[in-house]
Amino acid sequence: MLHLVIYNVKVKLRNFGTTFWPLAFPLILGTLFFFAFGNINDADFETVPVAVVKEEHADQVFLAFLDQIKNGEDQLLAPEEMTEEQAKEKLEDKKVSGIYYVGSEPTLTVAASGIEESILQSVLQSYENTRSTVQNIMKTHPEGIIEGLKAMMKQQDGVQELSLGGRTIDGNVQFFYALIAMGCLYGCFIGFGAAISLQANLTALAARRCVTPTHKLKLILSEQISSFLLGYVDVIILLLYLRYGLKLDFQGQMGRMLLICFLGSLIGVSMGIFVGSFGKMKEGAKIGIILGISMICSFLAGLMNNTMKDMVEKHAPLINRINPAALISDAFYCINVYDDTARYHRSLITLAVMSLVLVTASFLLIRRERYDSI
Amino acid sequence: MSQNIVHIENLVKRYGDLVALNHLNLDIKEGEVFGLLGPNGSGKTTAINCMLSLLKYDKGTIEIFGEPMSPDNYQVKKQIGIVLQNVAVFEELTVQENIDYFCGLYISEKKKRKQLVEEAIQFVGLEDYRKMRPKKLSGGLLRRLNIACGIAHKPRLIILDEPTVAVDPQSRNKILEGIQELNRQGSTIIYTSHYMEEVEQICTRIAIMDHGRTIASGTKEELKQMIKTGETITIESVLLDEKNLREIQALNHVFDVHYESQILTVRCTGAKHNLIRILNYLQSQELAFGRVFSELPTLNDVFLEITGKQLRD
Repeated sequence: MLHLVIYNVKVKLRNFGTTFWPLAFPLILGTLFFFAFGNINDADFETVPVAVVKEEHADQVFLAFLDQIKNGEDQLLAPEEMTEEQAKEKLEDKKVSGIYYVGSEPTLTVAASGIEESILQSVLQSYENTRSTVQNIMKTHPEGIIEGLKAMMKQQDGVQELSLGGRTIDGNVQFFYALIAMGCLYGCFIGFGAAISLQANLTALAARRCVTPTHKLKLILSEQISSFLLGYVDVIILLLYLRYGLKLDFQGQMGRMLLICFLGSLIGVSMGIFVGSFGKMKEGAKIGIILGISMICSFLAGLMNNTMKDMVEKHAPLINRINPAALISDAFYCINVYDDTARYHRSLITLAVMSLVLVTASFLLIRRERYDSI
Repeated sequence: MSQNIVHIENLVKRYGDLVALNHLNLDIKEGEVFGLLGPNGSGKTTAINCMLSLLKYDKGTIEIFGEPMSPDNYQVKKQIGIVLQNVAVFEELTVQENIDYFCGLYISEKKKRKQLVEEAIQFVGLEDYRKMRPKKLSGGLLRRLNIACGIAHKPRLIILDEPTVAVDPQSRNKILEGIQELNRQGSTIIYTSHYMEEVEQICTRIAIMDHGRTIASGTKEELKQMIKTGETITIESVLLDEKNLREIQALNHVFDVHYESQILTVRCTGAKHNLIRILNYLQSQELAFGRVFSELPTLNDVFLEITGKQLRD
């Protein structure tokens, strides 16, 4: 067996197509993800310019609030008082992102939708909420206004976003978990190549191997092990690149993450071997199937949309229980976000069982295979 | 009498409406170099693939070493060496690694394997190429590597399916000598080819195949005795008319006359003085002629007489 594994690894390593793309593609995609939104949380927003048009009975408190924001540490807004005509002109010229009309009830006018406009809306909303709270206190418990204001200040300081497990809550990291899942599933291409090399109706080399006295199970297992080793190394490289190269916020223990990659690579390779073992189908059709499976699984696990996995969970949770990419992604979530060991183990066991089933099925498919034509 | 090492009975293989093997019967004895001769498409490779349990077949039985052959009859497979028609080696492995890989599918003991691989390399004369990858080898060397991969484990039965296709004469001779040497070392050989000269040169017994069935089998001498042709006489650059041809056809022991492009081909039954008789006739008619050849019957003549067509058609 060792003899076969060593030679299979040599063959795969020296085959550029087999080795390069399953490694390179996830690395390239990960880099693109990183530059697209990987560090969006750290992005520095520029101060938002906003026109302020005073109207009759202008809310002095709001003006003071704006003034406070302008001079605050973050310098979130750059309000500038002007006439309505000037403000409209500047809004049209995109020199300001919005206009605060400050009467007795401040209002906001914007000409577009985007992050800056959202910030302006958020500031106004925040002011209105606070004012409403203060007015309520004044109406019901005027004597407690000082305590109320103190409590509100405390709340602002005390709120800190945390995940349930006390780990990262960076929403974009979901993409990278799905990417690692995709990297694992890309092992299916290595496994597929291995299975093809055992299909006597497809290549002379496979025919040659099939007429030897080596047990079919041994041939499949040796291909499985060698394909898995390569796939696993590919995923480890991807994981290390994301963690240490791009410095993504993976807070789980490396050992546990490697275990996920181990079983993820196993399922990827097993899927490829299984599809490659269908005897009667043409090679092109098989490639289409594994490409489709790997991409659909990755898509449903949130590779292209970080809300996809949640949507699937809401409408068809069974898919998340059997989708290997979702299981891999979920296992990463369990150790990096939820700190949910039971769920982590459940995902890993499911992956292991699925791999075993696929390899057994592959063996049964080609165990006694005789072909109609060669 | 040697025992049958391969027994094929009533083997039928169809590809849709096409009957590739039509009730094929073969018996191959231990120690033989058995030739399967036939034109392309006659069913030789299909027969081999059925024997190796690569192909499903519709009817018939195949026994090798007295056991029914099946895909998981590993004990039988262990004693067979295969050299397939298409070169089947790993492009990514060197010559030595390829031979070691295939030998390792039969022999697990590393020390023994190392020795066998070395012997196989020397046997096919690839000592200077052991570190090379297959794509660097010429067609002939590649064929030799293909053979080395098939015979390294010293099998009891070696099946070679057209091993000399697209091979230069030097490599071809080396391969044919090697096959005879393997037979001398004790292996039974099944050799398929559409090159009758090769089959005549190395095979001790021959089955001629056409349209998926054996049309004749025996030693080459036995096969030649099956036909009328005892001698084929060819005379070049001779001008003949219809009358001359009729008169030649009427000569004793002549049974077929063919005249085309001033070349006369006369097939005679086995008898003395056939050539002299024909030359005397030409002299009597004062007909000039060029080169003259007299050939004993070939396997092509056997094929021609039985099927009415040339082996290489």
